[in-house]
Amino acid sequence: MTAAAPRATGRVLRLFLPLALYLVFTVVPFYWMLLFALRPAGSTSLLPWPLTFEHFDTVWNGMGFRVYFQNSVWIALLTLVFVTFFALMGGYALARFKFRGQRAFLLALLCTQFVPGAMMLIPLFNIFQTFDLINSRWSLIIAETTFQLPLAMILMSGFVRNVPVELEESAMMDGCGRIRAFLAVVLPLLRPGIVAVGSFAFIGSWNNFLFALMFLNDPELQTVPVGLQTTIGENTVDFGALAAGGVVAAVPVVLVFAFVQKYLVQGMSTGAVKG
Amino acid sequence: MALAAPPPARGHGLRRALAPYALISPTLLLLATFLLFPVGSVLYYALQHHVVNEPYDDAFVGLANFRQMFGDEQFWSSLAFSAKWVFAEVMLQLLLGLALALIVNETFVGRAVARALVFSPWAVSGVLTTSIWMLLYNPATGVFHYLAELGVGNAGTSVLGNPDTVFSAAVVAELWRGVPFFAILILADLQSVPKELYEAASMDGAGRVRTFLHVTLPHLRDAIVLATLLRSVWEFNNVDLLYTLTNGGPAGATTSLPLYVAQLARKSYDFGYGSALTTAAFVILLFCSVLYLRLSKFGREK
Amino acid sequence: MSRTLRTTAAALAALGLLTACGSSGSSSDSGGKTTITFWDNNAGPARTPLYQKLIADFEKANPTITVKYVGVTSAEVAEKYNTAIASNSTPDVGGVTTALLASLTAQKALDPLDERYAKSALNGKIAANFLEISKSASGGKGLFQLPSSGNQDVIWYRADKFKEAGLSAPKTWDELFAAAAKLTDKGKNQYGFTIRGGAGSGFQVLSEAYAYSGLTTMFDAAGKSTVDDPKNVALIEKIAAQYKATTPEADVSNAYPQMLAQFQANQVMMVHHNLGSTRDVKTALGDKVAGFLLPAGPDGTSVLANPVDGFSLFKNSKHKDAAWKFVEFLDSHEANSYWNQNVGQIPANTEAYADEWYTTSGITKQAGDSLNSPTTKLVQPPVYLPQYSKITKTDAEPNFQKVLLGKTSAADFAKSVADAFTKAQADYQAKNK
Repeated sequence: MTAAAPRATGRVLRLFLPLALYLVFTVVPFYWMLLFALRPAGSTSLLPWPLTFEHFDTVWNGMGFRVYFQNSVWIALLTLVFVTFFALMGGYALARFKFRGQRAFLLALLCTQFVPGAMMLIPLFNIFQTFDLINSRWSLIIAETTFQLPLAMILMSGFVRNVPVELEESAMMDGCGRIRAFLAVVLPLLRPGIVAVGSFAFIGSWNNFLFALMFLNDPELQTVPVGLQTTIGENTVDFGALAAGGVVAAVPVVLVFAFVQKYLVQGMSTGAVKG
Repeated sequence: MALAAPPPARGHGLRRALAPYALISPTLLLLATFLLFPVGSVLYYALQHHVVNEPYDDAFVGLANFRQMFGDEQFWSSLAFSAKWVFAEVMLQLLLGLALALIVNETFVGRAVARALVFSPWAVSGVLTTSIWMLLYNPATGVFHYLAELGVGNAGTSVLGNPDTVFSAAVVAELWRGVPFFAILILADLQSVPKELYEAASMDGAGRVRTFLHVTLPHLRDAIVLATLLRSVWEFNNVDLLYTLTNGGPAGATTSLPLYVAQLARKSYDFGYGSALTTAAFVILLFCSVLYLRLSKFGREK
Repeated sequence: MSRTLRTTAAALAALGLLTACGSSGSSSDSGGKTTITFWDNNAGPARTPLYQKLIADFEKANPTITVKYVGVTSAEVAEKYNTAIASNSTPDVGGVTTALLASLTAQKALDPLDERYAKSALNGKIAANFLEISKSASGGKGLFQLPSSGNQDVIWYRADKFKEAGLSAPKTWDELFAAAAKLTDKGKNQYGFTIRGGAGSGFQVLSEAYAYSGLTTMFDAAGKSTVDDPKNVALIEKIAAQYKATTPEADVSNAYPQMLAQFQANQVMMVHHNLGSTRDVKTALGDKVAGFLLPAGPDGTSVLANPVDGFSLFKNSKHKDAAWKFVEFLDSHEANSYWNQNVGQIPANTEAYADEWYTTSGITKQAGDSLNSPTTKLVQPPVYLPQYSKITKTDAEPNFQKVLLGKTSAADFAKSVADAFTKAQADYQAKNK
């Protein structure tokens, strides 16, 4: 017995055991969904064997998920672009300027978090109707951008504040304008912030159900979450299709997230949030 | 929220003064059109009798909707449920998130994969969370059937159908999705704890627990306050999960205030009263948030 | 500054794009072609393809009309219509069940169809009882929906397991409960019956109660609701006594899809639903499943009229003639027969009653004969009341769960529903004198 043994045991108890338990908690639900998506209807095997892709064929080709998927990607990407762009502008203003009404503006941004999106449906619908945007993907992009922008901007201002102001000043001393100084010096350092804010926007927009349901009618415009709902009819529920649709809905965001989470961890310190 | 660092001293007076407004103008425009106006119309309807399929009865009723609210047993019970739900969710998410962050903050082989895995449910929507957990909980498709074969419990168990277990069952499903948010925020902050503080603590001979209590936790305070606040508001307002998982049942055991409002609007078509309840919820949230920030001394120097 | 300008210009261009990309309203004309929008009120994997085929047939026969199909699931359809009405963006034509009809006519969203129907080739071919149900549902002020499909409550049962146990399809409720007890084996996680405790429970338990009591009207002569009649209460008590005795624990929160899942997983031997699920149970279980109509009580039986499905024209439509043509097509012998055959419901077009699939359909024909028979005691639920959905869903559903859980008595439950109906009926009659 070496002295390292009890320490190793301690590490297993303190670290790996709880981690393993938590991993089970995280992974079993995902596995359950995959199981139903990949095994034939009626099978009760705990392994997806025999393997079948018929449920994916059902949702992807039969139920229009191919189109829904493309729509969701476009809507989420455009939301990402708008949110990130406006959040950069506003976040920079909040971090680098002192202006009259700043506190009120910040307070307003925070208050938006108290607004429940579900009750906004009817008035929002009327507004989009006025602009002739019902049944257009833009209604979704605008609504999503509006609801996500406040928090994105607050986050972004924190990221900007973390970039030492002296860097920018010295660039400006060298004769750059403010905008060039921003593009050359600040923007590259904001990469974790942009990734964080952008991925929040993408995921939020990808997951939205109520707005898509209410603002879009045309099946050619619909998104994945609404498609998912149609796998549960009034009289039927096709568990295989439901699970396969769930996999289609989960894969992009989970992948995006697995890729960007390290940036989130880098950038989302409270320093970033509270300035 | 602490305010701006001093701006760099350069640029012309007027342009400098206008620049921030120009930069926030798109946001202001969006918020005013697509948020302020809808909020205003909710306030307007809160003072109206407005049931969609009884249009002939529409009328201005002043504060009658609010008076009805005070006598509405379901309002109070759903508000109480919301409080219980928010408290349970946020406390558990915080504790588990903190533990999880401390674990994945250690160095070990496979850490990157472990992080990606345990954080991933955060990206899943409420509606999809329901689909997944419905599969797990349903007696015909779920895990209990398999557990019963192993001799654990009863195959016919329905955690969502039993008023004694439905709360825990819904809480667990929401935890699955909610813990990663805390874990990420806290992990981010853990990494910014200055190394010198730990070194100093270890010089003083402080053990693991004392270091955690005296160094780590104080450093995390603001992150925890902010995360719990935002999460409380979101958990309060979120209807997706409960609406689709339990629909507020059985027997109203899981009806939160926003869920009650959603049912009023979608099944009873009562928008006037629904708007009044929304307004009340907004005021309650605002009040609690301010109180919480005051009490927690958020942002003050330690 | 030039960069700022360029950025602003880019942002403005993006905004310009927004308006350019906005696609427009419900219908349009181009090159002599008319496009009408049709909302399916019960879209899903099984029904959507049926409409897609019928639309293709219709467009072939009417090359100047294009039909745009919009599928809405039944759970969302009320909200979708209400929102559309509030903002003048209703479709030209849509599927509407009698359960939703009054709500839409109250908002003055629909066009009356009496004249169109009188002049139509379909006149006289649509089942009289269906038209009656439809007119009653909109408050008796005319025809606002052309019925297309009738429905009736049925109980699906595992014919194979019944045979094994030496049982036959029950004719009375007491026989049903006895069979349920005999088929229950909790050790094997097998239950004789299942109760709908989740969404949709209100209507279901009422239809069971009236089938048992045989009462023929929802209101007595004094305008008082009959829901809390002792005979109705007796049946609700009997049903509640089945909970967890011959039915699974999950019942209390199960809506039909979950009940069906348990039925298909061999965990439940009888499940009460309606003809709407014919196709689903047959595909899942084939010959192992059969259906019977709701059994009778000691004093005979009544039938609580199920919602009748049909099509309505919306007032704001600019293409009502084209839309009506489409409705006429959908209700024509061939199309109506095709749709109902595939769904397993009762055609509204009486010409379809001679079709082979119908005469050999077993339970569908049995239900259709019962619905169309003058001796059947048909009870009309007061769907014309604006509070109908609130009373039977928002209020009754959680309350019925309390009955199952033993937190309130069947009598108190029935009384609360009855009182709400009585009051709503009084209000309604005061307004419509």
